[in-house]
Amino acid sequence: MWYDNFREQVINLQSKTERDQLEEFLKKQNLSLDRDIEYTVALFDGDKLAAAGSFSGRVLKCIAVDEEYKNMGLSSKIVTHLVNEAYSRGRTHLFIYTKPENKAIFSELGFYSIAEVPAKVVLMENRPDGIKKYLEEIARDNGDKKDSAAVIVNCNPFTLGHRYLIEYAASRCQRLHVFVLWEDKSSFPAEIRYRLVKEGIQHLTNVVLHKGKDYIISDATFPSYFIKEYQELVETHARLDLEIFTRHIAPSLDINRRFVGEEPYCKVTSAYNAIMQEILPIQGIDVQVVPRMVNDGHPISASRVRELIREGKLNEVKELVPETTYKFLLSPEAESIKKHIQSNSQRH
Amino acid sequence: MGRLRRTMLYVPGNHPGMIRDAHIYGSDSIMFDLEDSVSIKEKDAARHLVYQSLKTLDYGNTEIIVRVNGLNTPYGKDDFEAMVRAIPDAIRLPKTETPEDIEEADELITRIENQIGMERGTIKLMAAIESALGVINAYKIATASKRLIGIAIGAEDFVTDLKTTRSPEGIELLTARSQILFAARAAGIDAIDTVFSDVNDEEGFIREVRQIKQMGYDGKSIINPRQIDIVHKLFSPSEDEIRKSIRIIEAIKEAEEKGSGVISLDGKMIDKPIVERARRVLELADAVKVSYC
Amino acid sequence: MKIHDVGIAGTLESSDIIIHIEKNEGKGIEIELKSTVENQFGNQIRKVIKETLQELGVTDAIVRANDKGALDCTIRARVLTAVNRSAHSNNLPWEVK
Repeated sequence: MWYDNFREQVINLQSKTERDQLEEFLKKQNLSLDRDIEYTVALFDGDKLAAAGSFSGRVLKCIAVDEEYKNMGLSSKIVTHLVNEAYSRGRTHLFIYTKPENKAIFSELGFYSIAEVPAKVVLMENRPDGIKKYLEEIARDNGDKKDSAAVIVNCNPFTLGHRYLIEYAASRCQRLHVFVLWEDKSSFPAEIRYRLVKEGIQHLTNVVLHKGKDYIISDATFPSYFIKEYQELVETHARLDLEIFTRHIAPSLDINRRFVGEEPYCKVTSAYNAIMQEILPIQGIDVQVVPRMVNDGHPISASRVRELIREGKLNEVKELVPETTYKFLLSPEAESIKKHIQSNSQRH
Repeated sequence: MGRLRRTMLYVPGNHPGMIRDAHIYGSDSIMFDLEDSVSIKEKDAARHLVYQSLKTLDYGNTEIIVRVNGLNTPYGKDDFEAMVRAIPDAIRLPKTETPEDIEEADELITRIENQIGMERGTIKLMAAIESALGVINAYKIATASKRLIGIAIGAEDFVTDLKTTRSPEGIELLTARSQILFAARAAGIDAIDTVFSDVNDEEGFIREVRQIKQMGYDGKSIINPRQIDIVHKLFSPSEDEIRKSIRIIEAIKEAEEKGSGVISLDGKMIDKPIVERARRVLELADAVKVSYC
Repeated sequence: MKIHDVGIAGTLESSDIIIHIEKNEGKGIEIELKSTVENQFGNQIRKVIKETLQELGVTDAIVRANDKGALDCTIRARVLTAVNRSAHSNNLPWEVK
């Protein structure tokens, strides 16, 4: 088409009319508009929505082209627009979350497959060696092969419960890899969460601490975790994240066991854990669920700690966190985080 | 003799595929656009792309025009700096409202021409008039620079300025089209009509081309190669016109051979406008390869 | 010219090329190319990218290019734009041939 008539329009997600039109369009393509979408662009033929695509953080998603307009290069227009917009926001390592049947299209557009849940979803990234580089990074100081296990934690913030889980796991394997989630969507920023874990496990000599980065429960691999609302998609998201773990992460660090804290509260996390117990053993990785540490009859959890911070009961927090975390909470650095928690009632 | 400018094909400036193919459809002029078809974030990219393309690609005899951003935008000056150096035939200035707009552009081009040792006046100018004030000033604009080869009406912004919309009959454009045409003719330069944007409404397009041709316009801006042949056909002269014109030109030759100062045909004196028109008819005929031998 | 930030230019549309450029301090120019015409023109595309960077005085950079059949002049334009964007430079290298 020469000077095509498609009108490019950034969708105002606050406008009900525009949002409804977009949702209806996606529904026709068997897609739904994820709740965490922050930016959407669409191509219109007159008043008719012909193609649309969105992103949330570094993840391009909900990309669809109307049947009538297939093979006209609209998906490349949409992806180009989204990539440019993401770059201009400083996000250059990008992911695409899409149905497996679209793999070829996005591969043409410069995306490389990381992992796939057959018939459901494939995760791709815009670098040929993205995950390879991450694996090299985490395996760099791994040394000789040992009986290894993994623990994956958010630690928002690091509590005695986390410490107990890590100590428990570390005492039952030769080497324990601890991954701290890297998404900055928690009250405590990733760097601080990582630092508090590091300071709190100094006494353990067989623990290797890693930054979870993009490939472990990130908003690319497991967006549900950050949406925090149970939806059908949770299962698909969990399978994708666990696929990356079993296919890429575990083999490069000889991990044959994963320890996980029991999850009495969060439905999303407990669903994730259930699927983990179903999938991992098939791939030769044992899953051990560790009961929560209890204080005064209540399981210790980071959400309880934040609850107490919100209520201003720092004295009670002292009972639930290692000294290192407590000292941080009293420091000037923690002021803004505490304030944020007090002004906000989110779960994470 | 001036160039034919029956069709001026818009080519979005950030579109390599269209830029590459722009000349194969046979429009008289190509207008690479850095203005409205390029989003704000891509202004730099389009400027580089059009510059590199003009430096490298061969468009044969097709007239090359670049529509830059206005000098009152953050992009205008950079556009001029780049485009003068890319040496198109002309630069088209959008949203011209006063003769000062043209003078400013003229001075800027002169400075750049001097800087790079190009002969002064190499780069021509076209002015697009897109507001009521511009129409009022049309003649002053048309005579503001020796570089001017034509003025054009840009209807989309113009109707907005008038607080109306475009209609199929075009009554809202009638006065502006006339004024711009008068200004162009009085100044001795070309008058180019605005785009017709519904590429699927061929009937409406034909009606509009007939109208502006009858008014006296030299040609039309177009947005789709499909429209080129239609315009060229409508602009081609009838066999009768061609026959008459040939006779006029032959009469001139005869008079020249005889050394006679007065040209006459069938006992009537032929004056300058008639000669001009005859030449133009034959040019148009030539362009559409109507055989008249 | 030194590459500090990431820069990107171009589109994924036919006849275009996307150029992504980022720093590669002290490690020279590395080009990762993906192209629809890799077999016939891969080397030529790499050459144009390299030459354009050299003209700009860029000695170290990682370039990721996804080519959809771009002409040399398009490749040059996209490289120039990407470098300028990454260097936040408004210097206009029009005099560069």
